[in-house]
Amino acid sequence: MIVQLDLIERATLIAPNSVYLPWLNRFGRWICWMIAVILFVGMCHNLDLSFDVLSRGFTKLGTLTKTMFPPFANGAELKILQALLVTFAMALSGTVLGIIVALPLGVIGAKNVVRNSVIHFVVRRTLDILRGVPVLVWALVMISAFGLGPIAGVIALALADFPHLAKQFAEALENSDTRPPQGILASGGNRLEAIRLGLLPQVVPVMASQSLYTLESNFRHAAILGVVGAGGIGFELEERIRIFAFDQVAWIVVAYVMSVTLLDWLSNQMRSRLV
Amino acid sequence: MSKFVDQPTIFDRSSWSLEQIVEHFEAERSRQLRRGRFVQLLQVLVITGLFGGAFQASGFFSSYLGDGAIGRIANFLSRLFPHLQPDRLFEDRATSGSLLYWLYDLNLWLKLLAETVQIAIVATVLGAVLALPLSFLAARNLTPARWIYWTVRRTSELVRTLPDIIVALILVAAFGLGPIPGVIALTLGTAASLTKLFAEANEAADMHQLEALQSAGGNWWQQLRFGLIPQVLPNLASYSLLRLEINVGGAAALGIVGAGGIGVELSRAITFTEFDTYFALLLLTVGLIFVFDLTSEAVRDRLIGAEKAA
Repeated sequence: MIVQLDLIERATLIAPNSVYLPWLNRFGRWICWMIAVILFVGMCHNLDLSFDVLSRGFTKLGTLTKTMFPPFANGAELKILQALLVTFAMALSGTVLGIIVALPLGVIGAKNVVRNSVIHFVVRRTLDILRGVPVLVWALVMISAFGLGPIAGVIALALADFPHLAKQFAEALENSDTRPPQGILASGGNRLEAIRLGLLPQVVPVMASQSLYTLESNFRHAAILGVVGAGGIGFELEERIRIFAFDQVAWIVVAYVMSVTLLDWLSNQMRSRLV
Repeated sequence: MSKFVDQPTIFDRSSWSLEQIVEHFEAERSRQLRRGRFVQLLQVLVITGLFGGAFQASGFFSSYLGDGAIGRIANFLSRLFPHLQPDRLFEDRATSGSLLYWLYDLNLWLKLLAETVQIAIVATVLGAVLALPLSFLAARNLTPARWIYWTVRRTSELVRTLPDIIVALILVAAFGLGPIPGVIALTLGTAASLTKLFAEANEAADMHQLEALQSAGGNWWQQLRFGLIPQVLPNLASYSLLRLEINVGGAAALGIVGAGGIGVELSRAITFTEFDTYFALLLLTVGLIFVFDLTSEAVRDRLIGAEKAA
């Protein structure tokens, strides 16, 4: 005789854990959530993240935002645009320097070029460690060595970029197909020709596309570096925030956002042609 | 042979003699080579000009680094490293050359490191909580209306354009010095970037499961809760952890503009030219980020592994 059971009851009989979790599991989950919430609230408390402080801050932020409109450059339009150009120049110079340093390191770090595993290991690990140092830290170091100005920013950007670029270049080389260079060697070409005609056409577009990415991110980083004194748009911005000239701050931010969008668009166009 | 001539021929070449074909091919090829060389020369000129201009504008050639710039860097480097003396390494902090003399304010630094971690965690949690509902609106397959999708996507792009440091700088003016502007700046950045990443995970989800729930009578919330979330949760958790790693570094850097955490001490050490202190703080920060990255990478691997096993 078949006992007609409710669907859920039947499912519970076949696989008890599928419908309802055992109470112990549910209790455990509940405890975990409680601990997480208590920890989070404790952290908020440690950071003084109270409703009172927040509401006061946001009220003040509201009044500041009101003074931002309309954005007004106060006759400094040319100076700001020039600072934007300097920021772009910093980004470009930093990228170029980074590429120049990264190229030989990338070639040495590629497993299929330098087969010595000790060299490969040392180069790759050194690059890994250097990648851990953020660009802002390099900038602070370079500013204390070279003094205030864009040159410190350029060198900081190059120092922060080259480990990333070298790793990407090495990976591009490692991912390349070995057969085209072999074909050229087999048909009588020398080693140089094998590299020029067999290897480079494979890896150059990849490297160029990564360099363009680096240029994009460097433009953002260069703007940040200005805040700690490496010239360019960040410096102008910081100066105006210090004197609470928020209408000019808004003008700079709008100009900056527009130029970032433009640069990203341009570099996207170039990348889609490359790859 | 015709594959070398990329322009379609408008006249019939079938009656040409072999010499004519070869002659035509050579002429066409040399014309293309010449044009190619000209374009290449032009590109090289333009790019060289651009690079030259960039280096000039960033003061690379004209910067006067003063006499003995190399000497200054060497001096800087020698002041960067602490002058530890092996025989009194474990003396108290008043003795020059001991470990404690170098790390003279270790308790405060550890407290500030803890604050940095807390800023990162609180900002990541708040950002992820904000990003979750926004990601439903910004996913093409879930959004209620086209214009909502467009608005959320563009707003998140706009916020992502602004560097955290610049947002924090403006917020410090409103909230005063301390960790709160740091938390808010990182929350904004996290919410914006996670909205995009979450939305892309949502778009990649299998819609059949939501449709099955709908046909079984599930409402919008039930479809999301039981059809979508179980699919995307491992991805969302993994993205949030990745963002947490980024935020620990970000929180350390934000202190430089006065937004709390270890960065405050970093910039103080630089201002007072205590380069050995700076080096100690840097080691602590890099070590913290390293440990954090390793832990979170291990957890992320397990999450993705669980998803693949399922």
